[in-house]
Parts: sequence; structure tokens; C-alpha cells
Amino acid sequence: MTRFNQTRRAFLAGTAAAGAAAMLPMPAFAQSGGGTLRLRLDGDIDILDPGYMTGGIEIEAQKQCLPFLAQYKREGGTFTWEPTYFVERLEQRDSTHIDFTLAEGLVWSGGYGPVTASDVKYSYERMKGTDWSGYFEALDRVEVTDARSGTIVLNKPFAPFIMVTLCHGPGAVLSEAAMKEVGERFTTKFPAICGPYQLELTPGQRALYTPNPDWTGPAPAYERVECPIITEVKAAELAFEAGELHCTEVGADTLARYSANMPEGAEITVGGELQYMWLGMNTDHPKLADKTVRRAIQHAVDVESILQGAYSGTTTRSYGIICPGLIGKRDSTRYYQYDPQKARDLLAEAGITGLDLTLRTLNTQERMLAAQIIQANLAGVGINVRVLPLDSGPFWEMGQESKGDTWQELELWLMRFGTTPDPYEATQWFTSDQVGIWNWERWTSEEYDSLYEEGIRETDPEKRHEIYVRMQEIMEETGAYVWINHEPEAFVHSSDVVVNAAPSGELNYRRFERA
Amino acid sequence: MAFYLAKRLGLSAAVILLVVLVLFSLLYLIPGDPATIALGPRATPEAVARYAEKMHLDEPVWAQFLIYVGNALTGDLGVDVFSDRPVAEIIGERLGFTLALVSAGLGWAVLLGVPLGCLAAVRPNTVFDRITGVLSVGTIAVPSFLVSIWALLIFAVGLGWLPAIGAGEPGDLGDQISHLILPAFAIGLSWVGYLARMVRASMLEVMGENYIRSARAFGLRPNKVVFGYALRVAILPTITLIGMGFGGLISSTVFAEIIFARPGLGKMIFDAVMARNFPIVQGGVLVATGLYIVVVLISDLVIAWLDPRVRESL
Repeated sequence: MTRFNQTRRAFLAGTAAAGAAAMLPMPAFAQSGGGTLRLRLDGDIDILDPGYMTGGIEIEAQKQCLPFLAQYKREGGTFTWEPTYFVERLEQRDSTHIDFTLAEGLVWSGGYGPVTASDVKYSYERMKGTDWSGYFEALDRVEVTDARSGTIVLNKPFAPFIMVTLCHGPGAVLSEAAMKEVGERFTTKFPAICGPYQLELTPGQRALYTPNPDWTGPAPAYERVECPIITEVKAAELAFEAGELHCTEVGADTLARYSANMPEGAEITVGGELQYMWLGMNTDHPKLADKTVRRAIQHAVDVESILQGAYSGTTTRSYGIICPGLIGKRDSTRYYQYDPQKARDLLAEAGITGLDLTLRTLNTQERMLAAQIIQANLAGVGINVRVLPLDSGPFWEMGQESKGDTWQELELWLMRFGTTPDPYEATQWFTSDQVGIWNWERWTSEEYDSLYEEGIRETDPEKRHEIYVRMQEIMEETGAYVWINHEPEAFVHSSDVVVNAAPSGELNYRRFERA
Repeated sequence: MAFYLAKRLGLSAAVILLVVLVLFSLLYLIPGDPATIALGPRATPEAVARYAEKMHLDEPVWAQFLIYVGNALTGDLGVDVFSDRPVAEIIGERLGFTLALVSAGLGWAVLLGVPLGCLAAVRPNTVFDRITGVLSVGTIAVPSFLVSIWALLIFAVGLGWLPAIGAGEPGDLGDQISHLILPAFAIGLSWVGYLARMVRASMLEVMGENYIRSARAFGLRPNKVVFGYALRVAILPTITLIGMGFGGLISSTVFAEIIFARPGLGKMIFDAVMARNFPIVQGGVLVATGLYIVVVLISDLVIAWLDPRVRESL
């Protein structure tokens, strides 16, 4: 029989050793010494072709390996653009002409020669026949002046073209000769590259960026970038804490935890907040046809409680569809504020008692919490709300007339859209011709439609600001919206790394710097 | 034996066909238009039309099913919705990682669990037996995802002894093994308990048999009796358990693969479900089911080979 006292000693010794091990200091976050930057990739790169990509991580890859004419720049609190080092000149000559001159000495890999204006023409005109053609609707043609110069000619004044198209993934330039050789489409291998990095993909495992031997431009701060594929945000956060990543995106709860108690050697950087969430109301539904009822609901919802209860105070309060950092961003509401008594008075004025409504929402954690807070708020003024969580399939179809009859039953819903760093994109979903497509609130306004066209044409930032503020006032005045929040694209990173993230959250590795 | 094999293969084919039918039905049971669900709400009409054509969505449902089965029989599991790559090729890239993980996880569990079960059985009701019993039940009760998280927090984040994520540098065996340790520990831990309990129970039953008593009476060495005679018989139900465990783990490694960001079949299926990438889901589940059936079949055949009583009853 085993003697108990021996086992006990062994147990005590083992426990002591385990305790001592647990007392070891936590490792510091990964420092970026050496020249290798380690970042998270949230999935496999499927299609690198700008015309047929999914977006997101594929745009990140394009930015490292392909030329772009313009790039995002933050000026104070506002997003704007600047020419990249691929161009010597990029100027908006007038409302429909953008002149460019490519930098000298840029060459494609694989012996495809220098980057030419003709490549720009081929790349942009090709996009008109692809899945991303929407970004080039305003493009008429590209005129080639000489080997390195040309003019982008628009078919109508379109102020956001540089910000929305040229700075973004669809604005990538491809080698015409290389594209012709691969049949004008490609998936996971660039036909030719011109950028500081070349890309090597190991499906399911990682993307590896190493120096492009043909690159003649400025060297990036990091010689090598390793991007292991980590699909789950939480796993990536743990990998960062284990020192295996220099930077990763963080979720709302982790952002709150880090913001309250930032670990030594780590920092948070916010790329942008280009998401806007709101509580929508169907103005055509008999229960909500009376604007007084809708206004009552606007007054009944305590947005601050949602920001704290569902998002741990990590998101920015919204006052419209224009996100922080963009022209037209509002700082307050005009037609409502949280006032339950006013809500009760408005309901009484409308002669409404015992109103039952259904609130549809995506079945994600934050949305469900937000919906429950709204349910409690509305119960406080005498409106009974049933929360109906939905999977993404039926959720995204419920307001579309082409997808069935659910749009007729829609009452309340929680919606979030993402946008590009120009106000025009967010406003396009609420014009009269979008009723039954994306304008699920189903109101129309001639003034709004006309301002939408005006905003696209106008190039003066101040005038554009006024246009977009007015458009949001029109929306709010319908009573069909309670603005909720803008979620940030937040990244935690080691403090010796300066992160470069686009407003929509894509990282640009070649613009990372050492602190 | 040949009849038994044919019967089992026929049954396996029927099970696989049923699985294909269920998987195929899922595409239509999930509310919403399959193309919109897969490509997202803002997909262009051209992209939706291309997807519908690629997936044969314009054909009647029964025709789609027959096309899928016909293609699957030739090894064509369709193409990835997003990358257009053959599903079979994508599965091939991931399968090796899962098999390595399952082998390592179950391997260390067998190496530890079987001897522990034997020792507990030959020393019944001792302190060792009781501690083994408590630890076995404890490890069985703790879910593998919890073990994964704690192992990662302690050994990778806290102590920094082992890597936290990935499968290691391609071509570097040492690095790949170091990346395998924590996930293999996590998925194998509960199997140590299962196997120890299973072997202990079988051994206790066998140790009471007449032929074991005779062997002892003849004065054979205890080790010879335990490992030479008792374990050979007691291990048979454990082989079935290992076979089922191996098959089950092929698809249930998903937690370890997600937490340790390892490529593998489980994570591939999970990601595909999240992205509504139905061809990958269908192909992945089909392959996992096929492997499960094959592994269980092999374990049955091994038992038949080891045990003349089973062989004679076939």
C-alpha cells in the first residue's frame, strides 16, 4: 500500500512548485525588435483581384503589393487624402478631371517593365465591368498623356471619387501586360507586384510579407510581416497577451478592460468609427404611421444606457448617419432627447395606450443587450416590446420588397451599416428610390433627394458639411430614427509600434512605424 | 469475414448518403436566399447570379442533389464560394493538421491512461486507485475548451513556455511539435480519464477470471499475468473506445483549433458555417463523417483480428 505521508510530501512539493511558477512575472508584450512585425489576419485571403475581392484583408494585401494613387490621411479629427509615393502629382483640376503623374523608377516584378499611365487606364476602366463597378460608376475614362501622366475623366461631378475610390481597395493599379498574360483575372497570386513587399500565402495558416527585390521606393519600417490566421478575436487577444502578436483588433469588452487598466507596454489605437447604428421605425406601418408616436419612441430611448450596458462605454454616441471624422458629422440631435415624461405626453396626445410592438435585431450579444435595454425603456412609457432575434439571412432580407412580405410587418429594428470615409456613401441608402431596398423606414423627401445629388457635386468642404447636416436633420425629423452609436475599429498594440489603419479598419503594414 | 466486411461497407455507404442528404437539405432549411446568405446583403446582382449558376441553384432541388452526389463520388466536392478553389483541395490542406492533433492528443492519453487503468486495477481500493479515480472523473468532467483556455493562459501567456497560436513554421518539425503540445494536451486530457476508467473496469473483470487465477497459481510473474494475459483481453473494449474517440475527435477538435488558431478540419467547418460557405461545410462534414466511419470500421476489424471469439461469430 502506498504510504500516505510520502504522497502528501510529493503533493506539497508539487503544489509549491506550481505556486512558484504561477508567481513568475507575466511576460511583456511582444516588442518589435528585429524587423519582423506580427499581425493578425482574420481569415484566408481568397481573391486578391480588386475587381472580385471580398474586401477587408484582401485590401490590406493589395496595399502592400500594388500601387495606389492616393491614401488616407488624418488631419486633426477629420479624414482626408494625400498622394502616395507612387505619384509625383495628383490634382483635382475641376469637378470632373483628376490629373496624375506617376513617380519615376517604379517597376513591376517579373520583368513587366515600368508602371505606366496606361496601366492606370487599364486597371480603372476594367473595374467598370467587375463586382466592384459601383465604385467606378462616375468614371468615364482615363486619358493617357504620356508614359507616366494621365487624366481621370469623370462622367459627372463626383466629389468623393478620390477618397472613396482611389484611396480604397478598388483603386489598386495592376500591370496590364501581366493581367493579359493570366487571362485578366486572378485569385491568390498577384500577376505582378510593385510595392515594398511580396506576398506568400499558406492557406489556413498565414500570410507572409517579405521584401520585394524589385522595389525602388522607400523602405518600410519592418522588413518582414508575418500574419498568422486567427479567425476569433478572443484568440487573437490571447495571442497578443502571450507576446506572439504586435497588434490585433479588439472587441468591445476587451477594449473596455484595457481602457480601464492598460497593461504596461501596450497601447490602443482607433482606426476609425465608420459604423452607424440606429433604431429604425417603419413609417408605413399602421401602428407607427402617426409621427407623434414615433417621436414618443425617440424620446423614450435612453441611448446612454445602451452605450454603457451593451457596449461598456467603448463606443461613440451617434447623432446621425455621418460618422466621426467625416464631413457632416453632427454633435447633437435636433428633434429629441431622452425624456420619458415627454414620451408619455406624446403618446397621450396621440391617444395611444397599450401599444404592442416587435423589435427585430441580429442575434449578436451587443445587439441583444441593446434591444433589451430599449425594451425596458419603452416599457417605462407604456409600450410593450417583443424582441425578435434573427439570424443574418432573414435579418438582411426583412425590409427588402424583392425578398418577400416581411417588410409589411416591420415595426422596429436595430440596424447597423458600415460606410466609407465620405458622407455621400451613408446618405445614398435613404433616398426615395431606396424605399423597399435599404430605406426600410420608407419615408421620402424631395429635399433629401436633391441634397444627395448636390452633396455629390459639391467640392467645397464647408458647403458639403451644411448639406449633410441638413440631410440628417430631415431624417431625424421623420421620427423614424433613434441614433445609437458608432463602433470603433480599435487595435491593441505594443507601444513601440505606430499603427496605421484606414478609417474602415484595414491595416497598412507598409505605413507602420517604430515608436 | 468477407461477408462481414461487405455488410459494414454497405452500411457505411448508407450512412454517408444520409449525411449528404441532411447536409444538402440544410442549404434550403436555413431561412433566406442561399446566394444572399453566402455573399452578403450588398452583393451585386451579377455576383449573386454567378453564385447561383456555380451552385446550380437554378436547377430543381432533386437535380442539384443528384449533381452533388454524382460529383462527390468522383471526388469533386464543389468549389469554395469565395475563392473558387476546389473544396477537396482545401480539405486536403487542413486534414493533415487535424489528424496530427488527434493522433498526438489521443496518443498521449493512451500512453498514460492505459497504464494508469492497469495499475489502478491491480491495486484496487488503494490510495493510488482512489486518487486515479478522482483525477479520472475530474478530467472527464472538464470540457476540452476550458482546458484549452487554461493551458493557453498558464503555459503560453503566463509562463511563456510554449507557443500560443498556429501550427508552427512550415518545414520546421521541432517548431511544429512545440505548437502541437498544448492543443494535444487539451484534447487528450479527458481521454486519459476515460481510458483509465475503462481499462480499470475491464481489467477488474478479467482479473477475476479462472484462467488468470490459474496463471497466478502456476506462479507466473505478476507483470506477465497482468500485461501478458489480462490486458490482452481487457484492452478489447478500449480499442472500440479509442476508435470512436479518434473518429469523434476529428470533428470535435474545433475548440482547440479555434483557441490555438491552428488550421484543421474542425476550424475550417466552423469558419465556413460562420461565413455561410456551404460547399466547404458540406465537404468538410462529409469527409469527417467518412473518416469516422472508416476509423470505427478499422477498430472493429482490429478487434476481430485480436479476438478469436469475435472472429468466429462473424
